[in-house]
Amino acid sequence: MSTTLSDLPPEMRAFTILKTSTTLAPRLGRLTLPGRKALETPHYLGNTSRGAVSHISQDNFQKNTSINGVYVALEDFVEKLPRQTPPLYQLESPKDESPLRDFIALPKDTVLVVGARRVPCIPCPTANTNSALSIYTSVGFRQISAEDYAAASRKVRPDIVVGLADIPYGQPQPGLKRIDKMSDRTEEWTKELVSQKNGLDKTAKAPKASYQIFAPILPLAKELQTWYLDHLIDDMLDDISGLAIYHAQFLADLPEQVQDLPRLSFDPPSSPGALLYQISLGMDIFTIPFITEATDAGISLDFAFPPSRSEVSGGEDAGKKYTLGVDMWQSEHALSVTPLSDNCSCYACTKHHRAYIQHLLSAKEMLGWVLIQIHNHAIMDAFFAGIRESIARGTFGEDKVAFEAFYKPELPEKSGQGPRVRGYQFKSGQNETKKNPAAYKVLNAPEESSSEAPTPNPDAVAGDLEKIGFAETAKS
Amino acid sequence: MPPALSYELLAKCSVTKARAAILHLPHGPVPLPIFMPVATQASLKGLTPEQLEETGCRLCLNNTYHLGLKPGQATLDAIGGAHKFQSWPHNILTVSFQMVSLLKLAKVTEEGVKFLSPHDGTPMLLTPEHSISLQNSIGSDIIMQLDDVIATTSPDLARMEEAMDRSVRWLDRCIKAHKYPERQNLFCIIQGGLDLDLRKRCTKEMVERDTPGIAIGGLSGGEEKAAYCKVVDTCTSLLPEKKPRYVMGVGYPEDLVVSIALGADMFDCVWPTRTARFGNAITSTGVLNLRNASFQNDFNPVEEGCTCVCCRPKEKGGLGITRAYIYHVAAKETAGAHLLTIHNVQYQLNLMKRARHAILEDKYPAFVKDFFGKVYSDKTNFPVWAVEALKGVGVDLLAD
Repeated sequence: MSTTLSDLPPEMRAFTILKTSTTLAPRLGRLTLPGRKALETPHYLGNTSRGAVSHISQDNFQKNTSINGVYVALEDFVEKLPRQTPPLYQLESPKDESPLRDFIALPKDTVLVVGARRVPCIPCPTANTNSALSIYTSVGFRQISAEDYAAASRKVRPDIVVGLADIPYGQPQPGLKRIDKMSDRTEEWTKELVSQKNGLDKTAKAPKASYQIFAPILPLAKELQTWYLDHLIDDMLDDISGLAIYHAQFLADLPEQVQDLPRLSFDPPSSPGALLYQISLGMDIFTIPFITEATDAGISLDFAFPPSRSEVSGGEDAGKKYTLGVDMWQSEHALSVTPLSDNCSCYACTKHHRAYIQHLLSAKEMLGWVLIQIHNHAIMDAFFAGIRESIARGTFGEDKVAFEAFYKPELPEKSGQGPRVRGYQFKSGQNETKKNPAAYKVLNAPEESSSEAPTPNPDAVAGDLEKIGFAETAKS
Repeated sequence: MPPALSYELLAKCSVTKARAAILHLPHGPVPLPIFMPVATQASLKGLTPEQLEETGCRLCLNNTYHLGLKPGQATLDAIGGAHKFQSWPHNILTVSFQMVSLLKLAKVTEEGVKFLSPHDGTPMLLTPEHSISLQNSIGSDIIMQLDDVIATTSPDLARMEEAMDRSVRWLDRCIKAHKYPERQNLFCIIQGGLDLDLRKRCTKEMVERDTPGIAIGGLSGGEEKAAYCKVVDTCTSLLPEKKPRYVMGVGYPEDLVVSIALGADMFDCVWPTRTARFGNAITSTGVLNLRNASFQNDFNPVEEGCTCVCCRPKEKGGLGITRAYIYHVAAKETAGAHLLTIHNVQYQLNLMKRARHAILEDKYPAFVKDFFGKVYSDKTNFPVWAVEALKGVGVDLLAD
């Protein structure tokens, strides 16, 4: 027997679909959570690292971004498990409020989504077990049990908790036995999450102190996770409010009963084009690592949806495709007092210019990445707003084709160096060179003393220095 | 030519040599005494100009040497100076080249500083005229002369004297080369190491040249604090009352509080912002290393009652960031460094504000006692140099 969405109590119907046609089609929706700004979908979540969107301090987040929701990975907060209770669990907040929200100073009206792992996540060398998921913390690989994860959700009370999925990252294509396990474990873990939440709802006076659960849909064909999906629909449908999709192509396989739930993508799109493809399949909410990846590479995003000629600078030939981003490391920007993108109204574009940002990158000043990150998020805000308008107009299909014809398919190659990479952001392989070049050399090392002046610019040639009036070549 | 600033003395401490004033500069007035954060490469370590403005800062430093290399004079000329370049509507002071750190690589001659090009090893020459020309292009509100800096700890008195005399001659060349005295204030820099006679001679020579403001240089290079205090005390006694006095490279809170008592007005140091990036918070009870595990469960603000956006509670429009969160992000996410940088800069500016208020009310000795009492729990821990220096200006820290 199946339940339809209309049978659900009203507070469960946080997600309203405003416009859709068939199953595999773009759709417009609105995710409304108590006390939060409504999230118009399709939209994206700001991707955080240790509680902050990379490069953006919390005051800048409030003042200079319009990010409506964020994704936070629990693995960023539980280094001390199981030896010590993580500090986050010890923070007491008023009953209706989320300690996690307080801890990371997230504004009250921003949607807070918690999952176990970062996006993208680092594959762990140890496999998941029947009861626990392998995670990567800033002090190394750990495991978190499904029970602990469910307890953590009760403790930190985000708006949405993404259920644990048993996905063997970094492993070869799983065999049939492993696939069975994936589906069994994911079912068990989702059940644990649901039952602990229901226990909380019974004791809590105000049900809004609670959180919603997004159930994972494994990156497997429908037939291979039938068992899990059947249980999800028969036993847990009332308790889940959304789906976490780990592979966009399986959107086609979603059972009828869960069609109306919001879909959060954990299938990171590599480019705006890949993002549009997922939207065309009916994806609603995204986590998009390429925003920060572009920022770290010093690339300021420069695209709009649908594409409009007037918004793109430069007068290339008609047949030539436009680039999706501008590499701000290039010295051609050194004298440019134009904004990163024409018509962009973000803080970086209204208050600063390319020359300054190019200088900041080449001087490796942190503000360079701050400004590009603010801009890149503004570009994504406008991009999604354009997508929603396009779906509302009913022109998404043709606009998508126009976008693909107008822009190059991939973001530009990175040419400059990014900021320092931290240990929890990558896993080193064998015989790998150092990720971060040494900032300092031995002082007064023989032979090197002449090349090792304390100067910010190792590339300066005497002739250039003379030309810019810094000093002159000595005559004697 | 009238200077591009005016120094408005508001109050003098009746016991110490401390002064409170307003310094009117081309990009607006600033209160003295003042701490100036250092935005070496036209950016204050990750903060936007608005974030810096919000800490209360109205005068920050840029480094001529760094801006000369990057973005270079041509860019600065094309864009119209450093204010436009970094979108900073307030005042900028450009420090000249601190060649002291380059001694192995640079050779000072009468003409200028000879050094090897950082890239190809070609010998280069940097002159006082170059330095001023660069600072004219930067357009900073206060510019500094090129000086010959010797480490104060150098035992070579003859070389020290040579450097002092040369700095005076270079000042003359700087004054001559300065194109915009009507909108940029050239400060001289008193040299002379730790030798008080040399310092006195230099001060006399420099004062005669009547620059809009006067800096005491060559200090804060690892010398004994007692010797530092003697030099500052000696110089300020010989300086005209109606001019701002800038002690270069000083930034520890104790040093600021003592130097103000010795009659200094302006200070700069990279320490508050640098130490923030290492997870150290400056507070009125001392410096806290927030990377220490003892702070991981400390859900208090970095400093209770601090009004910076990081510490201020949410109810008062702040972020309500806790020590535990700084512990969580320190040295891991740059956003953590930005938050602590905001706090540390605001702490320094607020310390100056409180000192100024005390001078205006003629309660500076009490302020100094209160300050040391909070930083050091016990009087026996008071640094001897501070006790001695303050005794010299009539404040007995150890008295009840």
